[in-house]
Amino acid sequence: MNPVPTAENPFAGDNSGIQKRETAARWALRVGSYIVVIITLAIMLHIFIKGAPVTFQSKWPFVNTQFLTELPSQLHVIEDKQGNHYETGVNGADAIKKQLGDNFRSEKTIAYSGGGILGPIVGTALLVIVSVGVALFLGVACAIYLSEYAKHGKFLEMVRLAILNLAGVPSVVFGLFGLGAFVLTAPVFVDVPADRSVFAIPLGFTTLSFEGWDTCVLSGGFTLAFVILPVIITASEQCLQAVPQGFRETSMALGATRWQTIRYSVLPFATPGILTSSILGIARAAGETAPIMFTAALAFKDKLPWQKDLPPLPADASIFAHWEQSVSRFLGIFTESVQALPYHIYTLAAKIPQNEYSERAQYGSVFVFLVLVASLAASSVLLRKRLRAKYRW
Amino acid sequence: MDSPEPPPRPPLRTLLVRNRKRTVLGMDPQQVIKYFFGLNASTAVIVLVLIMLFLLREGIDFLPTYRNELVTYRRAGLEFCDIIDKPLKEHQSLSSSLRQSVSGSLDTLGKTARDRRDAAFLLKNQAEEKATQQRETLEQALEQAPPPAADKLDILRREQQKAAAVAAASLVYPDLFTAAEKQQLQTEFAALTPEVTDLPPFLQTLAADFTAKDHEARTKFEALVTAQEEFEEAPEGLQEVLDELKEHAQETKEKADEFHVLETNRQRLLEAAAKAKNADEKASLTEEAEASVAEPVNLDERTKELTARAGELREQLENYVKAAEKASASLPQEAGTSAATTMLADVRAKLPVHVQEMRDAALQLDQWRSDKPVSMISVIAAFFFGSQWITNSSWQDFFGFVPLLTGSLVIALIAILIATPISVIAAIYTNQFASEREKEIIKPIIEFIQAIPSVVLGFIGISLVGNLIKDFSEVSWLQWVPGFPIQERLNMFNAGCLLAFMAVPTMFSLSEDALNNVPRAYIDASDALGATKLQTVFRVIVPAGISGILSAILLGLGRVIGETMVVLLVAGNRIAIPDFSAGPGVIFQPAHTLTGIIAQELGEVSRGSSHWQALFMVGIVLFAISLLVNWCARAVARRFEPHKA
Repeated sequence: MNPVPTAENPFAGDNSGIQKRETAARWALRVGSYIVVIITLAIMLHIFIKGAPVTFQSKWPFVNTQFLTELPSQLHVIEDKQGNHYETGVNGADAIKKQLGDNFRSEKTIAYSGGGILGPIVGTALLVIVSVGVALFLGVACAIYLSEYAKHGKFLEMVRLAILNLAGVPSVVFGLFGLGAFVLTAPVFVDVPADRSVFAIPLGFTTLSFEGWDTCVLSGGFTLAFVILPVIITASEQCLQAVPQGFRETSMALGATRWQTIRYSVLPFATPGILTSSILGIARAAGETAPIMFTAALAFKDKLPWQKDLPPLPADASIFAHWEQSVSRFLGIFTESVQALPYHIYTLAAKIPQNEYSERAQYGSVFVFLVLVASLAASSVLLRKRLRAKYRW
Repeated sequence: MDSPEPPPRPPLRTLLVRNRKRTVLGMDPQQVIKYFFGLNASTAVIVLVLIMLFLLREGIDFLPTYRNELVTYRRAGLEFCDIIDKPLKEHQSLSSSLRQSVSGSLDTLGKTARDRRDAAFLLKNQAEEKATQQRETLEQALEQAPPPAADKLDILRREQQKAAAVAAASLVYPDLFTAAEKQQLQTEFAALTPEVTDLPPFLQTLAADFTAKDHEARTKFEALVTAQEEFEEAPEGLQEVLDELKEHAQETKEKADEFHVLETNRQRLLEAAAKAKNADEKASLTEEAEASVAEPVNLDERTKELTARAGELREQLENYVKAAEKASASLPQEAGTSAATTMLADVRAKLPVHVQEMRDAALQLDQWRSDKPVSMISVIAAFFFGSQWITNSSWQDFFGFVPLLTGSLVIALIAILIATPISVIAAIYTNQFASEREKEIIKPIIEFIQAIPSVVLGFIGISLVGNLIKDFSEVSWLQWVPGFPIQERLNMFNAGCLLAFMAVPTMFSLSEDALNNVPRAYIDASDALGATKLQTVFRVIVPAGISGILSAILLGLGRVIGETMVVLLVAGNRIAIPDFSAGPGVIFQPAHTLTGIIAQELGEVSRGSSHWQALFMVGIVLFAISLLVNWCARAVARRFEPHKA
């Protein structure tokens, strides 16, 4: 008699154990990777829940404009005898005290927690403008050299090694470098060199003295520029490399010089990519604290960089009549020290006690800061995706 | 046909365009453009060199400055005092352990009585506070010079009585008291008036109870109590002499410092005078220089005064050692509770060591010489192996590097131990198992972490993670974990967790790249041999990509060691070597770090001081560490590179 045929494959071994193990391991790996995702989302959610109520409101215009457009100040908390608390700024405190009269019980002041965060936002914006300007110039030029001109050799190797190492230097060391280089030694034009000047070159009408820029936007911006330089170089080089070799060959074959080739056949196709990637550099520059701690940032300042006690320009003439003064005043913005958002958050987190009143300023600034940085990073990623779809060679 | 004469070429044009190439500074413009870009490319190299130069410029003077300070420290005799003072500090910790042991033992008998007394007095305070307004009004009325009319006082009294009764009724009486006692307390509190200063009878009973119990306990543990008291008083004589000597040494140091400052000032003025062109200016500068002359301190003379009292010091030391030994001999084996006994055993074990240390110190006193030179090597050793980082001290500043280094290393180790498995697992999963859809969720989110500024994570560490860890450590079924319940919200573990979170994106993307680079042929071959997916992944792909994964870990380590804001905010900032005798629980202690100390202290020091230079030295070391880690990562990547098929 023939054996009864079965549906099972007679050659298959019993692999149920292996199957189970495979599935188990796969799930273990899956859970492991999702842990990070969940933690990230949880942190975001926490900041959103605590910070969004400070920044947004339920009434028109839905954004807490006071928080975004006022300078930081002291917060006064006044308690009356019924145990009610009134939170107010410096100016409101006296009025409320007068109004309460005998009912007044106690007053607490909490540093930095009142008002808004306009000062830090402006400071961060100025720092980012300077640093990205400098870093883009140096970084793109460096990338063009690496991608278009460089031949294999000692110099190229050295430059690549330097970029790698620069990317690994701790940010606080950049801060020390910025302090030593820009704050204390960078060259300035002065009439009489200061005592601390390293050396001075007389130029006749003025003196070029290496005495430093002091703590100001310029020092901080330059320091940040070197922090983000490796990021910009790497990103720009990738964009340049992505332009097909054929474009260059065609251009050269038509008799264009190397520079013409770069100018008309490479850069136009690489620029959008370079700009999008540099947004990532902006996010990085905006987020760094340690490099600006000693070079630009102040814990507290009750004025914006352009609010200085200078005599007003005569109103009678047109603005062009005083262009020299106007320009020097405009440049003066960059020689002021400023508040910066990351440093403001550091001050709020480390220098004042944690309590219910300081929480508003803390979570509010953290939320605004994170939204700024995250939207920069996200827009960079999205734009890059769209660019990739557009330029498909 | 005559062809027309070709027109003569304009000579100027020839000169400019045809025959000679355009040049800029004698070079081909193309060449100039190339050099321009080359120059920009070398910025990276230049910046790296400049970083090194500026760090060295500000920091390198540290060694001579610190050496000068150490020379003064020795010559002024501060070191002489520290020989005794340092081991004597141990006395305080031993003494406090003993005190705790004693109070623990006494508590076995007296605890209920004490608790009852304390609770009752606490309640009394609360009752008084609740009726405080009426009380104060009454008190004021009573103190008025012409006392107010009796009926007015009566009204006030009644109001006060009423308030007191309300307050007494509203109190929550703990279950330490029986129902009858609670009633009793309430009536007594209700009767409290500012006019009677005596304690109510029941409170008096409670106080007396406690005194009796305490007395009983003290007789029971008499041996322990007397030994503790003797030990506590033992160093009094020694301390007295030492304090006098310290004062003397300090005075010497201050004088020496003053002389040094004035002297450098004078030198500078004289130099300026030598350079001055104007005769008047020269004269005035010289005059100023003459005015700043200070009397040099005869250091040797003054230190002799110190060493002259060495005999006296040694005698007191001998007394102290004898007293300590006597106390140690009379310490009983047992204390009241098991915790107290453990503490007692600990003290018993440490006491002989302490006594020996004091004896050694006495011997060192003889060998100490104020004029022994301070070698450069010993200064370098004092920085790199010194265990104290003390600044702004009125006694002597020490810049020892070890506490900071250990803090940094322990935190980095914790971070790497947490981050490595997580990021490698995530990399393996996304690279090999995840569907396209999952990849689109996991990858951007993990890469997004990179965009979170470190100061935000530091803030999260203070406001969220610290409290979470502390709450966790107080859960009863987790008490087996070493170090639980934790003392400090901000500690190395907290910082390590956050740094691990920061390091994950770097390590994840680099590891994933490494797995991506494994040649396709390896995987195909493994599949063809019938390996399951899991086998392929763990026996072929991961070993082939191990070099990339290792270098990813190293680069993550570099990032973790160099991170500033998180550790500055979260690590707790206690400058001391963590107490490794606590076992694995050491990770829950606060510490300070290399990066944190720079960020915290640099803003507050004046330029050119030894402290400033020391911080730049720390910066130099950090820079060196970052270069080293980078180099290692590249070396590892090269060393284990798979032979590509």
